[in-house]
Amino acid sequence: MLFSRRLMLGLAMAGALAFPAMAEGPTEIDLFFPVPVDGKLARDMGTLIKEFNETHPDIKATAVYTGSYDDTLIKTRAAIKAGKPPAAVIMSANFLLDMQIENELTNLDSLIAADGTTKEQFLGQFFPALQGNAVINRSVYGVPFHNSTPLLYINADQAKEAGLDPNKPPQTWAELTDWAKKLTKREGDKVTRWGIAIPCAYDYCGWMMETLTMTNGGRYYNEEFGGEVYYDTPSMLGALTWWNDLIAKHKVHAPGATPGPAVSTSFISGNAAMMMLSTGSLTYVRDNAKFNYKVAFIPRNVRNAVPIGGASLIIPAGLEADKQKAAWTLIKWMTSPEKSAWWSRATGYFAPNMAAYKTPDMVDFLGKNPDAKTAVEQLDVAKPWFATYKTVPVRKTLEDEVMLVLNGKKQPKEALAAAQKAADELLKPYNAETSLKLP
Amino acid sequence: MSLAEPAALPVATSAPPRLHALRRFATGFKASLPAYLLLLPSLVFLALFTYGAMGRVFVDALYQRTTPKAPVRFVGLDNITAVLADPSFTGAVVNNLIYAVGTAIPSIALALLFALALSRTNAVTSALRAALFLPVLIPMVAASALFLFIFLPNVGLLDYYIGRLLPVLPNWLGDPDIALYAIMVITIWKNAGYYMLFFLAGLQAVPEDVMEAAHLDGAGPFMRLRYIILPELRPTFLFVTVIATLNAVTQVDHVFVMTKGGPSNATNLVLFYIYEQAVEHYDIGKASAATLLTLAALMALTALSFRTLANRDGGP
Repeated sequence: MLFSRRLMLGLAMAGALAFPAMAEGPTEIDLFFPVPVDGKLARDMGTLIKEFNETHPDIKATAVYTGSYDDTLIKTRAAIKAGKPPAAVIMSANFLLDMQIENELTNLDSLIAADGTTKEQFLGQFFPALQGNAVINRSVYGVPFHNSTPLLYINADQAKEAGLDPNKPPQTWAELTDWAKKLTKREGDKVTRWGIAIPCAYDYCGWMMETLTMTNGGRYYNEEFGGEVYYDTPSMLGALTWWNDLIAKHKVHAPGATPGPAVSTSFISGNAAMMMLSTGSLTYVRDNAKFNYKVAFIPRNVRNAVPIGGASLIIPAGLEADKQKAAWTLIKWMTSPEKSAWWSRATGYFAPNMAAYKTPDMVDFLGKNPDAKTAVEQLDVAKPWFATYKTVPVRKTLEDEVMLVLNGKKQPKEALAAAQKAADELLKPYNAETSLKLP
Repeated sequence: MSLAEPAALPVATSAPPRLHALRRFATGFKASLPAYLLLLPSLVFLALFTYGAMGRVFVDALYQRTTPKAPVRFVGLDNITAVLADPSFTGAVVNNLIYAVGTAIPSIALALLFALALSRTNAVTSALRAALFLPVLIPMVAASALFLFIFLPNVGLLDYYIGRLLPVLPNWLGDPDIALYAIMVITIWKNAGYYMLFFLAGLQAVPEDVMEAAHLDGAGPFMRLRYIILPELRPTFLFVTVIATLNAVTQVDHVFVMTKGGPSNATNLVLFYIYEQAVEHYDIGKASAATLLTLAALMALTALSFRTLANRDGGP
């Protein structure tokens, strides 16, 4: 491994000496990007990269579409293994820790220092809530690119019809339960309209559990250390019990696990009066809802708090210095206030760069779409997205058990105990070489 | 069989048998050299992309690391033991067995029914055959996206019609008791038309004179089916069964698109388990071990069925 890297370096140097003319052409770099929401994003990315290439003649960047967040991780890892890593990748923000543990990320500290800025100054551009998923062991490994938080969406017409004031949305779990009861429509035993829908499919389910647990005062994982999750805790037990009560006790939430697209379709068709969904769906709802809607903070039981979602820009490990530099130029350009604001308007994600909201175009946009502002305001109470060693399997241990509860096959208490046990088992190897490796 | 033929030729030498065999091999090789040369390009690619990859899987299955930072080391059969002890692997195998039986039998039965009904060729049957074959032409991923809409709880096409009859609407893909069967429905819908083609071909081979004789002897439609058509179709049955079983293991596109193995692992099939190990757990050793086990099972199945086929062809 070491030998081959040295050999490659030697060959590269020999090549550089032998063909000095080669250094004069533009540096060619690849950017891997996923499309997590809809197809239009790919066209927007093309526009963005074209503009970058026109303004940076010494770099030729190519945007490579790599599928979903998960596919992007697979393709990036395959490219790293093949010795041809892309120069930059838009990576799901909670995969960074796992990649850092596997030595697949470039530490960005030296690139920041080379620009003459400090880490604090650099990170200071972004909303504080986003920094947790970008910094690992006090080093910067990612730059927030587009982000989201969960929101409560309300069908304002149906609320009015039920005698509720959509301008005073529910702020606590108690109020939300009450609203959901009033908004549920029944014909005999049959429910024709559900009061609320909360998505639960792999990925979304874990995020919603983190949301509910946080609003119940708890945490999902240890933000400082990737070897611990807190599934079997009172705060998560309360969260899951309440979710289950909405189904089994109050009968205002459809039974079973419902994936995100089914939840948004249900809301758009008027079949669910409220839903909890990502800010990333805001553009979709705005374009498709044939009724008045309102968005609000996720209601609390103990405190207001939500996790972030979305993606960060990273530079994979093992790149040549010139490509690394070119990638860094691209990343800084893409996360600058103007570009960040443009991307946010195009996609519906919020812009991680705080200065983006001071640009004239953005001020204008928020004036016309006040609902986009709610997502930004909620950032004040946002916290990092769960990221542990083996994030996805550890998350799935919880999701599998939650799905059993929502289907009425298990009680919350025993489900969470089982999830905790399975997660601890998965985290064991990491703990063995960190927290339990004793002198 | 063809290799045995030269042995039957009279050889007029008295050389020792060993040399005899060698020379025979040399002449045999010389004779088939052009054939091998012609095959060479394909053989190179086969070696590179099929056997090379299989060899790599075999090697990867023998290595593992204990902690994330530790280097990989040789562990022998530990990965295989770990896979066999993993409840989600055994769960996936059980799911896959249910899935294989539950998709193969109905789709083959439907295919036979379609083929029998449409065996005569005229304008109407041609149109119906085309209609029944249509699902085969739709890519599995596209079909899954379609069914995703059909299965949407409350607002989907299925619930829209069934909803009037049932008091509580089932959550087709969100209920671990139903999800696997929902997935199976798609497979049956998609494959029945494909297997129908084989049965249609098989029906052409049923001898006309035997059928006529049966007619004259006064055998009714059921008797003709039971004693003539079904026995004649035996090789087709065997072939289609093998294909259906292989499909049950290798076609998991709809699981990726619709359920990702969920809810609560209810639709986790073996191939998806391998994907999970390789991609989500980033555990190449275990993924390779599971691949080897699957490969061994599939090869055994194929070998067994081909032997049965060969026996039947050779038999009376």
